Amino acid sequence: MKLSTKGRYGLRALIDLAVHSQEGHVPLAKIAERQGLSEIYLEQVFAALRKSGIVKSVKGAQGGYLLAAPPAKVTVGDILRVLEGELTVVDGEDRMEKGTIAGTVRKLVWDKMDERINRYVDGITLEALVEEHKKINYQDFLMYYI
Amino acid sequence: MKISTKGRYALEAVVDLAVNSTDHLQSLQQIAERLDLSKNYLEQLFGTLRKKGIVNSIRGAQGGYLLARAPEAITAGEVIRAVEGPLSPVVCLDDGKCQQACTDFEMCVTRIVWQAIMDEINQVADEVTLQDLVSDYLESRDASDGETDIEYMI
Repeated sequence: MKLSTKGRYGLRALIDLAVHSQEGHVPLAKIAERQGLSEIYLEQVFAALRKSGIVKSVKGAQGGYLLAAPPAKVTVGDILRVLEGELTVVDGEDRMEKGTIAGTVRKLVWDKMDERINRYVDGITLEALVEEHKKINYQDFLMYYI
Repeated sequence: MKISTKGRYALEAVVDLAVNSTDHLQSLQQIAERLDLSKNYLEQLFGTLRKKGIVNSIRGAQGGYLLARAPEAITAGEVIRAVEGPLSPVVCLDDGKCQQACTDFEMCVTRIVWQAIMDEINQVADEVTLQDLVSDYLESRDASDGETDIEYMI
């Protein structure tokens, strides 16, 4: 049961973008370098994010990407649904009608999991993750300093 | 981000076993027929479930399977994890694989998200017992039997 690299790397790249785009547009090459990800792969991921209105791009020498909305307005759910599709733990509704065991398992287990996963990712914003990022990196900075 | 047919079919089969093994041991053939699943596939799953102490098997002409414990003492999470392994949405949360998967594991903020998703999934799975599933199934089966009767009467 795994998320694809699209969702994993996409979220990482967007946190990086949120942290660094306060100073202006961020070229994908920079994100790729900082995160140790392939730039070509990120191009695909960002094309999808741009289409869905999560990031904006500016072409040219000073170009790059920006978040289309403030990080407090973008949830992890918005991002993951663009990159992964609907966040559901099982496919195939065919065998899950009412009155069957599969139907019961769906109602009490799979649907509940979906509900909880979606509630969590819709409740956490990019801004919250940027704050976490700062906290972790600040601690790290202090450790080096000491 | 999916639970595979392993986890899905194992859980369905164990609920079927819980419903039907109160009087008689159940053969995999019987379970496979009722659930419309492959018997060979169930054999693989039940091998694992037996090793993990979820079902017991008794050999012989009258042999078959039964639950190893009372249905209220077995959770859905136990059954799913027995065949799926840890329900981690990313490889870096699997035991021992974290440091290999990522160079800056400690610094990784996305890990917080994946861990929280995993916790949500496990919580749901650990809150539901086989007894809960059996009761709901029997109720919904009887309810839909009722619906069928009415349709026939009309």
